Amino acid sequence: MRDTKMGRMGAGFGLSVVVASLLNALIVLVKETDHHVMSAFKAALGHHWVTHGAILIVLFIILGFVFTAVDIGKRFTFGTMLKCIVWSVIISSAVIAVFLLPNLKAGG
Amino acid sequence: MLNQVTMMLHVVFGILGILFAVALYVDVLNASERNLGRVKMTGWIIAACMVMSFVIGGYWYVLYYPVHRSIIMAGPWPWAHKYFMELKEHLFLTLLILSLYLPVAVHNSLPLGTKNTRRLILGLCALIVLLGLFMELSGAIIGESVKMGLSKR
Repeated sequence: MRDTKMGRMGAGFGLSVVVASLLNALIVLVKETDHHVMSAFKAALGHHWVTHGAILIVLFIILGFVFTAVDIGKRFTFGTMLKCIVWSVIISSAVIAVFLLPNLKAGG
Repeated sequence: MLNQVTMMLHVVFGILGILFAVALYVDVLNASERNLGRVKMTGWIIAACMVMSFVIGGYWYVLYYPVHRSIIMAGPWPWAHKYFMELKEHLFLTLLILSLYLPVAVHNSLPLGTKNTRRLILGLCALIVLLGLFMELSGAIIGESVKMGLSKR
């Protein structure tokens, strides 16, 4: 069955989801291993998680519009976009879950 | 009182988001000209529910959670905070971004004429439901760990 090409905005924001999802895991790794980054995140908006969330949301919106404007996702079909999104979510979730795994057996 | 109300609203909006994602999944499976308006509207409702859950939950997390965290860390299940809360707070951001993308993807996929256009929406709904259920499970573990911590006192 022939897969259909996506529209500009659907593809642009879809790619933005992929980038933001992977970046989420990367920020967790950097933030939790580098105290300077953690301190900077806390200082920026009062709480590291608020800064983390704000960065991701703003980046998702900006990248979405940029990718839409440059039509970067023009080769994407619905099927390939779904695969990219699903894999980015699986990879980022697994990275965070495995990275935090030592905390599971750590005592108080 | 505001502490409890805020927490309940966070959970309620999260559950509503999950339920609407299930409804959208079924609607997309049975997509026709008659339900396209509802499909569009449900996409927006899911995004709105998750944004509300995120904002209210974030407010509670920053303002009220530190007290709960001290109780958990002094109790028998410190891993509930150290693993499940840490995981929940970060995976929620992925859930939020997927929910924000959903209405865009729905509008882009209309009139849902081919199998693959439907699959994208079905896949997004499935991810939202799975991540949402994990949020509920983690929330339950965290809530129980506070009880365990209090009973130890």
